[in-house]
Amino acid sequence: MTQKKAGPEWAQDDAETLFARYARTRDPHLRDRLVVMHQNLVRYLAGKFVNRGEPLEDLIQVGTIGLINAIDRFDSARGTKFSTYATPTIVGEIRRYFRDKAWSLKVPRRLQELNQTASKAQEALSSKLGRSPTIQEVAQRIGATEEETLEAIELGNAYDTVSLDSKMMHDSDSAPLSLAEFVGAEDDSLQTLEAYGDLDQAIESLEPRERAIIIHRFFKDMSQAEVAKQLNISQMHVSRLQNRALHQLKRLMIAER
Amino acid sequence: MSATQPPAPQSDTIELAIPCRPEFVGIARLAVLGIASRMPFSYDEVEDVRLAVGEACSHAVERAGGASAVIRITSVIDPGALMITVADDVPAGAASGPRSEEAQLLEEVGVDQQGLGALLMEILVDDVKIEAGPAGTTVRLTKYAPE
Repeated sequence: MTQKKAGPEWAQDDAETLFARYARTRDPHLRDRLVVMHQNLVRYLAGKFVNRGEPLEDLIQVGTIGLINAIDRFDSARGTKFSTYATPTIVGEIRRYFRDKAWSLKVPRRLQELNQTASKAQEALSSKLGRSPTIQEVAQRIGATEEETLEAIELGNAYDTVSLDSKMMHDSDSAPLSLAEFVGAEDDSLQTLEAYGDLDQAIESLEPRERAIIIHRFFKDMSQAEVAKQLNISQMHVSRLQNRALHQLKRLMIAER
Repeated sequence: MSATQPPAPQSDTIELAIPCRPEFVGIARLAVLGIASRMPFSYDEVEDVRLAVGEACSHAVERAGGASAVIRITSVIDPGALMITVADDVPAGAASGPRSEEAQLLEEVGVDQQGLGALLMEILVDDVKIEAGPAGTTVRLTKYAPE
């Protein structure tokens, strides 16, 4: 988006005037100008989400989509401030971006990778300094914030409790395992599912804890109490997550057909 | 849930008090990450809560403008909801220090950072109540558990 040097007559107008003019003319150059004027807002909001492993530039691009939608729909006559109007749209677009990513694999993997990077940095610094490095030193070395480093060290191991590649599912010697066989009477709706070939993929797309629970409960045959202990959460929590996972699987399987 | 009701018997309360300074906001966010993970929230929802609390704390830091203050974060884990109260003792009209770079950038487009922060919190969680008083500000955030 280039700005015109020898500008049009509206080049110096303020946002309010521009919005009114844009509403009338729908001039795409005007819209570009409005987008540029509000880049700081997008940058500010996108910056709130940088700790989640996506580059800021990508988040700004996504946020700008929201900004453009807001500019198109904004009615300045209503009296609302544009930033108030646009913020939910911009933030909504960014949050949807995270939701839609195949994050069920990305999240634990990102933390695991950061955890490994931090571990290596710890070792390297230990030999170099002749003592255990501080978190600040590790963070600086790997180019992350202290908060991210702590999170990676603390949580990067948590996902080890469940193998991300369930061997049972990919065992070509045995027949494909069916959830319904294990669920039996517990959930009648699953018995109506026929596309079991897609079950693999559906399970892969669950969020980590839900996937862990499905695997523990239906492939490793653990009781809810045992799973609760394994994952260090309450049995009630396991039950709730299990129900959610089953509903999600059902939804995904039906959508696949 | 009304602020004057005591937590229901089966709920758990976690309390954290931090100095009202930027370097401690990350600690609060990490604690809230752990706390929100006790709820049956998706990862995205946990991150939403973490961000909302971080926002509330950052605003307290901004309001304090370098003056000494404390932020108390009280989290109540309930089967039906997570309620987090972020209360600071920053006196109203405290001598505000230099505006942060962020705040300045926003002012250029006529955006009030505190107002924007409140709006952001409302997007991230289900209920937000802000009480600003002469002796400090209290932000109450509620996120309901999925049915």
